[in-house]
Amino acid sequence: MTIIIAILQAVLLVAAAPLASGVARKIRAKMHSRTGTSVLQDYYDLAKLWRRCEVREGGSGLVSRIAPPVFLGSFALIAAGLPLAMQACPIPLLGDIITVLYLMALPRFIFSLAAIDSAGSYTAIGGIRELLVGVLVEPSLMLVLFVMAVAAGSTNLGIMTQAVGTLTAYPFVAVVVAGVACAMACYIEMGKLPFDLAEAEQEIQEGPLAAYSGPSLAMLKLGVSVKQLVVASLFVAVFLPFGAAQAPDAGAVLIGFLLYAVKVTAVLLVAAVIENSVMRVRYKYLGRYTWFVVGIASLSLVFLVIGI
Amino acid sequence: MTTKRQTALRVGETHVQAVRDTFPGAVLDATWQAADQVTITVPTDMLPDVVEFLYYGRGGWLPNMVANDERPINGSYALYYLLSMEESDPGFVVVRAEVDPDSMEYPSVTPRVPACVWSEREAFDMFGLRAQGLPDERRLVLPDDWPSNLYPLRKDAMDYRRRPEPACAVENYEFLYEGHAEETTQVPMGPLHITSDEPGHFRLFVEGEDIIDADYRLFYVHRGMEKVAESRLSYDAVTFLADRICGICGNAHSVAYAEAVENAQGIEVPLRAQYIRAILLEVERLHSHLLNLGLVCHYCGFDTGFQHFFRVREKAMDLAVLLTGARKTYGLNLIGGVRRDILDEQKLATIAYVQELRNEVEALVDMLTSTANFESRTAGIGYLDPAVARDFSPVGPCVRGSGIARDVRFDHPFDGYKFLVGLSARSHNGCDVQSRTLVRVEEFMDSLTMIEQLLEGAPAGPVLTEKWQYTPHKFALGYTEAPRGEDMHWAMVGDNQKCYRWRAKAATYSNWPILRYMFRGNTVADAAIIVGSMDPCYSCTDRVTVVDVKKKTETVLTKDQLEGYCRRRTHSPLAGKGW
Repeated sequence: MTIIIAILQAVLLVAAAPLASGVARKIRAKMHSRTGTSVLQDYYDLAKLWRRCEVREGGSGLVSRIAPPVFLGSFALIAAGLPLAMQACPIPLLGDIITVLYLMALPRFIFSLAAIDSAGSYTAIGGIRELLVGVLVEPSLMLVLFVMAVAAGSTNLGIMTQAVGTLTAYPFVAVVVAGVACAMACYIEMGKLPFDLAEAEQEIQEGPLAAYSGPSLAMLKLGVSVKQLVVASLFVAVFLPFGAAQAPDAGAVLIGFLLYAVKVTAVLLVAAVIENSVMRVRYKYLGRYTWFVVGIASLSLVFLVIGI
Repeated sequence: MTTKRQTALRVGETHVQAVRDTFPGAVLDATWQAADQVTITVPTDMLPDVVEFLYYGRGGWLPNMVANDERPINGSYALYYLLSMEESDPGFVVVRAEVDPDSMEYPSVTPRVPACVWSEREAFDMFGLRAQGLPDERRLVLPDDWPSNLYPLRKDAMDYRRRPEPACAVENYEFLYEGHAEETTQVPMGPLHITSDEPGHFRLFVEGEDIIDADYRLFYVHRGMEKVAESRLSYDAVTFLADRICGICGNAHSVAYAEAVENAQGIEVPLRAQYIRAILLEVERLHSHLLNLGLVCHYCGFDTGFQHFFRVREKAMDLAVLLTGARKTYGLNLIGGVRRDILDEQKLATIAYVQELRNEVEALVDMLTSTANFESRTAGIGYLDPAVARDFSPVGPCVRGSGIARDVRFDHPFDGYKFLVGLSARSHNGCDVQSRTLVRVEEFMDSLTMIEQLLEGAPAGPVLTEKWQYTPHKFALGYTEAPRGEDMHWAMVGDNQKCYRWRAKAATYSNWPILRYMFRGNTVADAAIIVGSMDPCYSCTDRVTVVDVKKKTETVLTKDQLEGYCRRRTHSPLAGKGW
């Protein structure tokens, strides 16, 4: 039963990701005072790319070739393990925070490696930036999840979810502050403006994406949309689990899933509004923002230690 | 006695006297082309001394140098170093020197006055005149595959319709690195770059993301317009060709050319036409500055601002439609005036547009300056040292953002600008992208005020004069302040009702050489916005390419068909023919 939920989760998230990015594009267009494209445009784009032939850079090797499937696959795998519709992980093995963090680090690693593999200079700069974002954001995310692990008494996301959902996670203030830090870290991790440094179109011509074409590019583009949805879902799963099913019974799971859809849509709407009202942060100053997030995450640790 | 007093009053007399005093015997000849323009002829070997003296010693700035093949007139080539005197006795002093057609050499002024560098490189490309001591002798204008011994602007060089066989098959332009860091990565930006939709090839020398130095190659779209004007058009049709120099500030070029001829021939333009020219120039500035403000947002990744500035910009375009009948202020200038008057109802509608634009843009600018990261993206970025600016004579918001208030509209008032009250050139001291952006914002608001003042002040009367005597081989300068800086045209008419030599200097031509200094010390992330803050105009700089689009199916339209379509705007004669 839970295996089916896990597979369904992964499939649905991957299938819905272009819709989510399509809606974000529509919101962007509205804020630009444009009509904008259909919300289904990202599906059309992917279909078109999928039909195109693939062009590889001369001299690029295996890493470049496997990067798109690894990128997409890792996030699909995370999607399968998250406690979305239930207050427990469908597959407990995949729900451990250590596993999740490493599954998020793997595509970043491969992505950067592929960037170095490519001959383009913009690609390499994009790869460096991707690593920089990772180095600066991951510590806060780890710290937050560590605080939650202590508060809930387990490193399993399902148990954290249950603890937050039933309001038994202690200490309360530490959890709320951790939630704020997690929201910020997740926003940076989503790679939306002002933090879309690795793919900054105007600065480095979409960085590593420039080296790809055809189906590979489709996979990467889909992967980026899935990543945004998964990261938003991670935040929703851990800090907003209210309404998710307590036990694996079909009706409750269905309601839980619908509620999850509403919650994640709300989070994405907020993100879409933020991304259209700011300028891209200067690459040099990214550290200032992430220090702020690290500060809040540390604060939650302090609250945890003193127990409020 | 009376004649002596009259000569003492002429503009530029003090500068000529100063040159006479400092370099005895240097001034071989001094003639006035217009009230504010004097040309002095000096011996070729005195050239660097005289230009340097006028530039640094007398407060001159150098828009450019014009080379001219005068062998049919007096047996030699001539160089005209145009100097805009902006401290005491404002006006234009042109230093002329003749170059022997056998040796084809002259001493380079660039080591003394760096602002000459592009002009001297171009003089070699176009005429084969070699500047001895020029530090940078690379090709500037001609493409890499151009034969090395063909100099297109020489009178006996080539027919303008011909194109020589390519001399080589590879790009061989050498990018120069002037930095000190040993190991740098080269990042090519262009020839086609995603954020600069026109062709320019920038080569960034970077360490990590830090730009150590930069070099660039432009003129990919050189259209050979000067050659076309000299060989194909009559001199009074060139105003329309000058419109096409730029897609944004065409009118500024057209006015500059018309004024060059008018100054040379002593044509008195009716007062009302002068006002109308100034109004149209300001309308052009409105939409150009909105374009740049939008692009600043775009380069910073703030597309919301970009789209909104472009939404408002449509109103400025509507205003152009109202006043000229087209979205571009094209085709309005003639030698001697303008083609179209501004009627009373158009005046009222214009004032309404101006008010609307003022409100909308004020709100948008508030939004822009309060947007997160605007300050950190623009403050301190693309630093243009005022000392570098002094050496290279940049123009427009670019130099005004470095605290130097150079503006032709106020330094050498022309046309309707002579009658403005209470306005002065804007400048900011930050020397960075932010200052240049703020200068544009303020100038936009000033332009609105100017349009109102000019509409109110325009006297009734004719808009065109056709009474003048055509005198061959007279030459003069025409100048306007385009949105991006001064446009400087130098025109000499021939004895065949054509331009003998026409040199159109676009604003951006003066700004490119300083870009390298603005790049240094910034990061790759800032490269696009630094280029953008200069508001470069590739096609103006490149002056002209004839685009030859060959389709498989060719359709020939008759004049009647086209005229009918212009009136009806329906039933396109091209419909159903694969277009």
